[in-house]
Amino acid sequence: MSIPKTPSWQRRDTGLTARMILSFAILTLLYLVFLGALVYVGLDFISITVIASIMILAQWYFSDKIVLWSSGAKKVTREQFPELHDIVERIVARNSLPKPKIAVINTNMPNAFATGKGPRSSVVVVTTGLMDLLDTEELEGVLAHELTHIRNRDVLVLTLASLFSTVAWYLMQFGFYGGMGYGYGGGRDRNNSGGALILVIVVAMLTWVISFLIIRAISRYREFAADRGSAQMTGKPVKLANALMKISGGMRQVPTKDLRQVEGLNAFFIVPALSGSTIGNLFSTHPPVEKRIQKLMEMEASMG
Amino acid sequence: MSFFRKFRKGYNNKPRTDSDAIFSLSSAYITLEIKLGLKSTGRCALSLKSIDGMYFTEMKDDIQRFLNTGKSDVELNSRMVVDSYGYLWMILDGKSMGDILAGISAVGDTIQEKGFSKQLLVAIFEFNNEEKLSNGSTQYLIYNYKSNKFYPFVPFGQKTRNSENEMKIMATIVDEVPFEKDMTLWYPLWDLPF
Repeated sequence: MSIPKTPSWQRRDTGLTARMILSFAILTLLYLVFLGALVYVGLDFISITVIASIMILAQWYFSDKIVLWSSGAKKVTREQFPELHDIVERIVARNSLPKPKIAVINTNMPNAFATGKGPRSSVVVVTTGLMDLLDTEELEGVLAHELTHIRNRDVLVLTLASLFSTVAWYLMQFGFYGGMGYGYGGGRDRNNSGGALILVIVVAMLTWVISFLIIRAISRYREFAADRGSAQMTGKPVKLANALMKISGGMRQVPTKDLRQVEGLNAFFIVPALSGSTIGNLFSTHPPVEKRIQKLMEMEASMG
Repeated sequence: MSFFRKFRKGYNNKPRTDSDAIFSLSSAYITLEIKLGLKSTGRCALSLKSIDGMYFTEMKDDIQRFLNTGKSDVELNSRMVVDSYGYLWMILDGKSMGDILAGISAVGDTIQEKGFSKQLLVAIFEFNNEEKLSNGSTQYLIYNYKSNKFYPFVPFGQKTRNSENEMKIMATIVDEVPFEKDMTLWYPLWDLPF
């Protein structure tokens, strides 16, 4: 059996993800260096906490700018992309939402996302690859999905959720630095405070791991919610399902090889469907495409 | 909220035999007609891997005889074709869904009684979309004897499929018949010999 060559748009959009991860890694590194410097200078716990919270707030305030900048998205006017503006306007008018700004990334990878602090200052980003790949109704489904993210204030929800993990992370850092300080200082109560510090570190670590998993669970749930919102806005869940199939390269999921050819090969139908391991599911931010399509089709069925 | 309930419930009262599963189409085809405008063309077919041997030939003759004598009470025209993969196709044309379901399940039962159930591949039902003839027109429901489930097949041009229409079929009757929800098992049957 030869595996058909994957067209470029069907591959994972690693470029975009890599850029985002790199930008945020650099930012995190900057924070750490800065906070490390503060600890080194010898500031007390309270002032470091204040500075750290200011930094978190600043990151929140500039988050959409950072995202747009790191993804290379350019805001576009009605003249440049009239059809895209038309579709968004149609959806927001029907559902009485404020119209977000629209940005486009010039790449073959089909992708879309929304960012912004609140419904009024939000940006919906699509790639040129997405517009080439999908027809109007499918694009409408995807845009309605992103608009639901905005309406549900998912950026805010996820930022708040990650606040816990960020705080836990900082606590872990302080625990380490503090531990080292005590270690050098020596003293009578060295054993006692050492034990307490290890406890702090362990608790912080646990908090971080658990909140990491919870954030991912929330994120997956929000994806389903956005799919549902999109279906309600457009009334055509099947179009979004089709778009998801196209974007994920899922057209390959529906086989093209003839049943009579595969039938003799092995016990094809005894093997249970292995659609992603549970561990993989725990860590991913998006639910498996098959699950999303299945839910969308249930909605299509209930609409009659 | 009813779709949540549907999603949880799924199809749990699984039919015991292939005939039960096939007869579940006797109500599902009405749903297809009402919701999607899909009408049965009155044609269905059963395919099984042909083998050489006296018993197999005997079974074929038996079925031929049964189909010829049965003509009085159910109106069916039948013929047999062997395709390039070596599969024998028993093609039935009837006037009503009841007739072709009765015919196809009787043929299937006979094959199983004669001990050739392992040779059985699929039963396939042909539908036409009257309203939107431009949109691919012929659509199929395939019953797989190995998985005991139905799945849709809508060919579109040369060896490509109309997934959207296939998903619509799934959405429409997923609760009425035992349905294959795993799309990776929706194997097509290209160049059907009818």
